[in-house]
Amino acid sequence: MNSADLNPAGINLVACVKWAELRPEIDPLHGSVEASQRSSGFSSSDFAAVESALRLAQAWSDQGQVCVVTVLCAGPEDAEDSLRDFFAVGATRVVRVDLAEQRSSAQVAELLASALVPSQLNAQFVICGDVSSDRGSGSVPAYLAHHLGMQQALGLIGLESTDPGSLHATRRLDGGRRERLLLTAAAVISVEGSVATLRRSSLAATLAAKQKTVELRKQQIDWPTEVNRLRPWRPRARVLAPPAGDDALSRILELTGAQSGSTAARTLRLDPEQAAEAVLEQLAAWGYLDDSPPA
Amino acid sequence: MTDFDVIVVGAGPAGAAAALEAARAGRSVCLLERGPYPGSKNMYGGVVYGRVLDSLIPNWWEEAPIQRWVTRRSTMLMTGDQAVTVDYRCSSWGEAPYNGATAFRPEFDAWLASKAEAAGAVLICSTTATGLLRDGTRVVGVRTDRPDGDLTAQVVICCDGVNSFLAKEAGLYPPSDPANYTLGVKETILLPREVIDERFAVRGDHGVDIEILGCTGEVPGGGFLYTNAESLAVGLVLSLPKLAACGRRPEEILAELKAHSAIAPLIEGGQVKEYSAHVIPEAGYKMMPELIGDGILVAGDAAAMCLAAGIWLEGVNFAIGSGAAAGQAAARAVQRRDTSSAGLQDYRRRLDSNFVMSDHRKLREAPHLVMSDLAQQQLPRIACGVMEQLFTVTNPDPKPGLRKIIRGQMKLNNLKLRDAISQGMKALRTFG
Ligand SMILES: Cc1cc2nc3c(=O)[nH]c(=O)nc-3n(C[C@H](O)[C@H](O)[C@H](O)COP(=O)(O)OP(=O)(O)OC[C@H]3O[C@@H](n4cnc5c(N)ncnc54)[C@H](O)[C@@H]3O)c2cc1C
Repeated sequence: MNSADLNPAGINLVACVKWAELRPEIDPLHGSVEASQRSSGFSSSDFAAVESALRLAQAWSDQGQVCVVTVLCAGPEDAEDSLRDFFAVGATRVVRVDLAEQRSSAQVAELLASALVPSQLNAQFVICGDVSSDRGSGSVPAYLAHHLGMQQALGLIGLESTDPGSLHATRRLDGGRRERLLLTAAAVISVEGSVATLRRSSLAATLAAKQKTVELRKQQIDWPTEVNRLRPWRPRARVLAPPAGDDALSRILELTGAQSGSTAARTLRLDPEQAAEAVLEQLAAWGYLDDSPPA
Repeated sequence: MTDFDVIVVGAGPAGAAAALEAARAGRSVCLLERGPYPGSKNMYGGVVYGRVLDSLIPNWWEEAPIQRWVTRRSTMLMTGDQAVTVDYRCSSWGEAPYNGATAFRPEFDAWLASKAEAAGAVLICSTTATGLLRDGTRVVGVRTDRPDGDLTAQVVICCDGVNSFLAKEAGLYPPSDPANYTLGVKETILLPREVIDERFAVRGDHGVDIEILGCTGEVPGGGFLYTNAESLAVGLVLSLPKLAACGRRPEEILAELKAHSAIAPLIEGGQVKEYSAHVIPEAGYKMMPELIGDGILVAGDAAAMCLAAGIWLEGVNFAIGSGAAAGQAAARAVQRRDTSSAGLQDYRRRLDSNFVMSDHRKLREAPHLVMSDLAQQQLPRIACGVMEQLFTVTNPDPKPGLRKIIRGQMKLNNLKLRDAISQGMKALRTFG
């Protein structure tokens, strides 16, 4: 890659998309999951991420900025035909980081981050779908922000460009409230599928895209062997002294604490460090921290 | 200068074969498909007859996505609670070069289209041809549903399946008559491979094709039951106007077939995975449109080249045969720089000299015969009645003679000897 590719003076927007099983076939006889190239693709929120990147780039280009939109995917070779379609809607570059097998969100993010760093795609804005369609956790963008040292705004339901390099984002809060954020580079954001529908490419662009090449990156990361936990972590049972009481009812009441006073609600006004400390103290007092999850 | 030499609309078997042949002849070809991939929108009963592929893709059987090779073919005549079956087995059909095979269309069509792509055709999916581009009466391309979606070519081959809007727009079809169409409905039912092997008495990758008459009640039609590797396809073909007139739902009639004592044990315990429906150009030869216009050819179901005549339910082989002929003729016309109707007549000559037209011409009365009352109602009842009487032991009464039984059954079912003979002669002339 030459330095012009890094678009040093302009804005590099990278949309990250995940190649996933959209309609996995579960064999009802064997219970096996059958994946196929035909039933795989990208989620609506990934498409929204690409469309958002294209719209931001368009808006900022209109204001005189040089914008480059790159679509980045860590996935298998099977994804290439569908990835090529992103050229047709207007992506400048499409990059596939070779990843043949399923990996954890943390590992996928590590792989993507290695392609996003300044010496590579030099991304100022990384836009992801909020969750992938194969029951994704939505945590890849957060990991990405961590790896790249960027600010993050996740699960957005609205995006508006302002001056080149900055944008307004809207996020859903509890109770029907909304949060409006002003974001400037460099940031990782993730958008819900409702944010934008990917534009339909013109016929000429669709034809031209057939000739384009998806850039391939082979990143070598030595991941430690993973030990998969088979079930969610549960705290170990606590040994309690036998309840005192003459009859069964009083022993049950003693055991369950049904009639003893519960901890009264308290409102503490503390700074974040002290608040965290207070929460831990209370949890320890209730006996929740006697045991910690396996590393 | 046009965008392509040839545009093929529809990546079903006809379109893939047309694109394959035109691309092989060195022409630039665009294959347009409205579905996200070839075959994604397509359904059929389930049996492909591959002989037509021998010349297109030598040793196709080594790579085609096949479920089972049909080595057992049965024809069943049934009434509400009886069934007579003629069962034919042939182990040589289970060896190369094979005869028929069950296959899934999303797999089969995608495979065939990949051959066209490998030959150089450009496949564009998720793109619907919405109309024709014309220069006067001459077709010069298609309009698609994409932005800036006009695409020009010297020849457009319409392989867009039954009820082709493009062929109609080109004025190649007379006004359509619903009586020429049937509705096909099908359930795919999952069963373990060993259960299928056991119930249908086949082993390995051998499979069964059962065609059924007399299973559609008051609606003329027929039924079928095919074995896939780990599923069954059970379905019906129903006369469209008669179905509409009787006011019943097709799935109701299918449920009756599934509950029949000859079918229920075969599908018992299976899980319905899919229900699908599609129209069939039943009348075949009699409803064929003009096949050639200035800059345009029509092939496959779009040209009504489907043979749905009782013991035959074949369309894929005719689609491939006609598509290949259209691709060859289009390539030749482009090379000779005459893609007018006259320059494209080679298509007609190719069809006339191969099985596509000779089979359709020969069997042109077959759909009518199969849909007649005799075939639909009287024949199954008489056949089942004769069998019942023949095999019911009535001792101490003496056994009745076969002639007497047949006469009795014909009388019972209001079939006059004269009508039987005249229909028999017609059938002989058609099928003979
Ligand atoms: C219930 C049923 C059972 C059958 N059983 C059998 C059987 O067992 N064996 C057999 O040989 N035949 C069978 N047939 C017939 C067979 O399915 C057809 O004859 C055959 O599919 C015709 O192939 P085709 O390529 O002409 O059309 P199709 O297979 O219909 O393909 C047409 C293609 O064109 C595409 N298309 C349509 N319009 C457009 C457009 N405007 N723009 C872009 N693309 C478009 C469609 O998506 C499709 O991919 C059966 C049919 C039915 C309905």
